[in-house]
Amino acid sequence: MTIVLANLAPLLDGLRITLSIAVLSFLGAMVIGILVAVMRISPIAPLRAVGLVYVEFFRNIPLLVLVLLIFLGLRDSGVGIGPWTAGILALGLYTAAYVAEVLRSGVFSVSKGQVEASLSLGFTYGETMRRIILPQAFRTVISPLGSLVIAMIKNSAIVGASAIALSDLLKVGRILNSRTFQTFPSFFWAAVGYLLLTVTVTVLFRRLELRYAIRR
Amino acid sequence: MTFAFFDWVTAENNGRYILEGFVINLQIAAVALVASLILGLALALLRLARHRAVSFVAGLWVDVFRNLPLILLILFLTVLLKPVRQAWEDASPSFLPESFESGLVVGALAGLILYNSAVLAEIMRAGILSLPRGQREAAGALGLGYHQTMRHVILPQGLRRMVPATVSQLITLNKDTTLVSLIAFQEVIRRGRSVIANAGNPFTGSQVEAPILEVFLFIGLLFVGVNLLLSRLSRRLEIRERKRTGTKPQRVAGLEDQLAT
Repeated sequence: MTIVLANLAPLLDGLRITLSIAVLSFLGAMVIGILVAVMRISPIAPLRAVGLVYVEFFRNIPLLVLVLLIFLGLRDSGVGIGPWTAGILALGLYTAAYVAEVLRSGVFSVSKGQVEASLSLGFTYGETMRRIILPQAFRTVISPLGSLVIAMIKNSAIVGASAIALSDLLKVGRILNSRTFQTFPSFFWAAVGYLLLTVTVTVLFRRLELRYAIRR
Repeated sequence: MTFAFFDWVTAENNGRYILEGFVINLQIAAVALVASLILGLALALLRLARHRAVSFVAGLWVDVFRNLPLILLILFLTVLLKPVRQAWEDASPSFLPESFESGLVVGALAGLILYNSAVLAEIMRAGILSLPRGQREAAGALGLGYHQTMRHVILPQGLRRMVPATVSQLITLNKDTTLVSLIAFQEVIRRGRSVIANAGNPFTGSQVEAPILEVFLFIGLLFVGVNLLLSRLSRRLEIRERKRTGTKPQRVAGLEDQLAT
């Protein structure tokens, strides 16, 4: 217990950095994920193909490889990007593939009649998507989106542990361990931090689900 | 300096060297999967036990390890199991692949198994709970005891339903094996890095340079290839299962690869 009190400031800093990585990547993942999902279900075949390739590539590549590819690889090729940008880009691109698949399954749960009704009312394809389909799709996929956020918080540790020098929660735990040689408490308190985040997200999404979810 | 793409793959033994590293990753995944299935089944049964205290402790165990970052577990256990590492290097069983002789494999496998057994326990529990109550009641009415009901009625059906989800989890496991490179275990990423370091250096490697971007893209595509086949398999199994039982597959919260197959 003394170790956590003596090192509360760096631990809280680590928690904040982990949270920032997760929140920023999730925002990015939502934006890209929506775009890819719309491509995946668009009536234009080449767009669908691009969406499919995106999803299959980013879903099946190890996140660590992606981080190294973006951080070390791009720097080596002359496109220098900082650790924050690289970490958030990698985690965002990776998670976007899952967001796209989740949203796509949500879109398919909206009945076809709604699309037909909306088109016959004179809405364009884009308007139909934005005003009719996506709002309903989001409400059916609240629970899987919550799962994604939890997986993302866990994955943010990979970003911190790789070549990227970000002092996230895990990194702070490792530094404490090498400074104090108290292995168990150092990692234990980092673990408690992660559990705090994941439990909060679980509770939060359960509430959202109770309030907004459409059960089909 | 050349301008051809990926010519470093055929130079020297680079391509083969990396491929052999990739096989090490697949071996780690296979060993971890088998151990996690056994441990996961035990955890699932404990969680479903009638004894309140037992099921509570098993539930807590599963929920804690499922919600921690795997890399934290691997790093933690590697430091914590230092004494075991030396013992393993002295007396590792000879039937395991050569790369498993390193003491680092202890922390790597311990982390992978701890995490994945918790995940698989949850998948199995979902599979078992998805069975209609009538199955258990009918078995009871036929005079079968708890163990007989489990062995002959519940597990054969429940575990069958979790096969597609397990194959999906194997995709995650495959990807996660790259994390052991962070404790300096020699596998595909470490090998990739040494190719990068040595290629283009006339004293240690070939004349052909290996750009970082290309090496990691090559490694990434190896994973994409294998995992694509696995996800095809998972989808096919799921469709077959759905046709057979007429049920929707059970989703387990918190697992990214099971979200949208």
